[in-house]
Amino acid sequence: MRDTRDTILKIENVCKFYPGVKALNNVSFELKKGEVRALVGENGAGKSTLIKCIMGVEKPDKGRILMNYNGEWVCNSNALEAQKHGVYANYQNVNIAPDLSIAENYFLGHQPINKLGLVDWKKMFEDSKRIIDKFEMKVNPTDKIRNLPIAMQAMVTISKIAINDDIRIVIFDEPTALLENEKVEILFKFINELKQKGVSIIYVSHRLEEIMDICDSVTILKDGTYVDTKPIEEVTKDSLISMMVGREMSDIYNIRHMEPGEELLRIENFSDSKHFKNINFTLRKGEILGFVGLVGAGRSEIMRAICGVEKRLTGDIYVRGKKVNIKNPSDALKHGIGFLTEDRREDGLALILPIKTNINMNSYDMISKHGVISLKKETERAEDYSKRVNVKTPSIMQLAGNLSGGNQQKVVIAKLLCCNPDILIFDEPTVGIDIGAKEEIYKLMEKLTAQGKGIILISSYLPEVMGLADRLIVMAQGKITAQYGKEELKNLKEEDVLRKASIED
Amino acid sequence: MGKTKNSFKDLIQHTEFTLGAIIVLLFVVTSVCTDNFFTMYNITNLMKQCAITGVLAVAQTFIIITGGIDISGGAITGLACMVLALLQRDTNMNFWLTLVIAIVVAVFAGFVNGIIIYDFKVPAMIATLGMSTIIRGIIKIISNALTVSGLDKRILNMGNSSIFGVLPTLAVIWLIVALIIFLILKHTIFGRNLYVIGSGINVAKLSGIKVRNMFLSVYALAGLLYAVAGIMLAARVQSALPTGGEGYDMNAIAAAVIGGASLSGGRGAISGTLLGTILMVLINNAGVQFGLNTHVLEITSGILIVFSVTMDMMKNRKKA
Repeated sequence: MRDTRDTILKIENVCKFYPGVKALNNVSFELKKGEVRALVGENGAGKSTLIKCIMGVEKPDKGRILMNYNGEWVCNSNALEAQKHGVYANYQNVNIAPDLSIAENYFLGHQPINKLGLVDWKKMFEDSKRIIDKFEMKVNPTDKIRNLPIAMQAMVTISKIAINDDIRIVIFDEPTALLENEKVEILFKFINELKQKGVSIIYVSHRLEEIMDICDSVTILKDGTYVDTKPIEEVTKDSLISMMVGREMSDIYNIRHMEPGEELLRIENFSDSKHFKNINFTLRKGEILGFVGLVGAGRSEIMRAICGVEKRLTGDIYVRGKKVNIKNPSDALKHGIGFLTEDRREDGLALILPIKTNINMNSYDMISKHGVISLKKETERAEDYSKRVNVKTPSIMQLAGNLSGGNQQKVVIAKLLCCNPDILIFDEPTVGIDIGAKEEIYKLMEKLTAQGKGIILISSYLPEVMGLADRLIVMAQGKITAQYGKEELKNLKEEDVLRKASIED
Repeated sequence: MGKTKNSFKDLIQHTEFTLGAIIVLLFVVTSVCTDNFFTMYNITNLMKQCAITGVLAVAQTFIIITGGIDISGGAITGLACMVLALLQRDTNMNFWLTLVIAIVVAVFAGFVNGIIIYDFKVPAMIATLGMSTIIRGIIKIISNALTVSGLDKRILNMGNSSIFGVLPTLAVIWLIVALIIFLILKHTIFGRNLYVIGSGINVAKLSGIKVRNMFLSVYALAGLLYAVAGIMLAARVQSALPTGGEGYDMNAIAAAVIGGASLSGGRGAISGTLLGTILMVLINNAGVQFGLNTHVLEITSGILIVFSVTMDMMKNRKKA
């Protein structure tokens, strides 16, 4: 069947080169009016570069991108022109002004003006409130971005698009990476609404389930080249993956599970002032313990308290049955607890330092005498561990900030492994990384549990955590609302978990 | 073949290479074109000019690596110098004890900087600006705003002495200080942690680095270096001025920045700072030899600072 809708965007033979990399190599495709098009590919496939080109932020080295603006073909040569023509994007790395309020961020660069030529704050707050309500965000227009949880910040960047009147093309770059399910639903409602109005959408996501749900068609990129565009009915998750990765993958969550051994970690009566209350659980050798909950359920906060990053009011930590006193992250490491934090760019990595320093920085004392580091061991260890976790890099002197998300995460894991911890806490380890790297991280988890380590896995992505965990703990509003063992997990449905996760007081 | 090409590319990428090339070029040109530049007297003088700024620049480098800045360096240097002069003129105290007291005073001032910056969360720029103003006041009170002479002979001699008849003692002290800090940055956990802190406090904390201890040590260590600079200043000027050390901090920051230290933290090296210091001093010295107006030279130095940071920024942008 031929699609009779008007074409709104034509991408013609676009090439973009960076030193040593062909980011985009002769990419061509078209987008129809009112179409929701998924754009998929592994990290480094060129999705972000293509988006930047469409937005006019980057110029293609060859080829051109044309947009149908009221029947005329125009080329957006900078971001301002793109906006003038109704092209908007929410970028992957939350890019908003953290010290400004939500309202100010909504209207950044185009604040409403009153008769006196001054900023019309009243209108700004009213309009913002409307958007906030529409997206069911339960925040105030005056709230500072900095004080919002990261999921809410992501929501602000998404809802920001709705402030504009003349929207023609919207690009969503990994919009759901940080969102919990309930907010994802709201986003999908918004996308449908846009579609009804004839807005065209380019939707970038690593979550193929979502793509199957909301997109009309899908364009696949691989290593900077165009692979194919297909109507969504003609693809399956597996066929998509094989087109993206170039190999078949039936079930990426299918890892080998170990028989849980002795107790490694026991948490008793953990409470803090507001995030969690009376938490008890244990972690055993060779086990993956999953934590599920909506954002704000208190999962990360518990882990941060265990590792001495935040304070707690009451509660005891037992490592291998012995009560331990953990006051700061260095105590946690000493007792063999390694913590991979949710925000790897902020908490996990020194982005402007080389891989070598990043891998060693937790544990310099292990390769030093009287504070003097053995440079030879430093290099050897970095080489060794970066190989163990399979960091793809020409050299360990590469700066961490130049790596892809997946490789960055592997560096963080390598850093933790250097301290040889028995207990690993992985908080959202696969946020914003591609399927290939995800699979590698799952394999790594398999390897670690086989070595007798215990892993606590926090993930907002239910298929992932339900697929990997041996045992599942569900939390809502700071309390544990359900626990599922291995047998129960086999027949567990996502809906059941969600219901337990959204229990109100 | 390809490999050689690459390593040459890498070489140009290094700030040190560019700086070194400019220094050599400037040195050769000035030697050839002017009569009084390449003389024993002038070269010795050049090294002495480098020495004090050089020590402050070394301190500035490791502070900038942590993402901080210290504009009280000149004032603390002046204070150490003044305390030393007063003790030596007005008391019969043992010579070494006077040195120790001058050092303790400076280290304490640096330590207080650390407390204000870390515990009170005052931005380093403001904290050290305040400290600088306070110390200038203290210097004027204890000296009645007058020049103090009557320093110990050993200090006076140090200012004019040299080792092997070529290397001024002051320059030797500078190089030793630089070498020690170079080794600390490269080979110790303390040094490595400075870079981690500079690239992100959260990362540092979660990596188990005792960030507070680090901050206090860093600023106290800077105080120690300022004390050394203060003693050198006393030796060079042969007395202590109430305005002693003024302007040194800005030159030191400039030298570190020209040498590739990044004010946003995480990057910087002693080798770069050494060359940055030499280039700053060399431009002035060579300019004077060419008969350029000193005010014009100030403009040149300013342009150099802006230029080197611009280059640095452009290099980073290309990488990203």
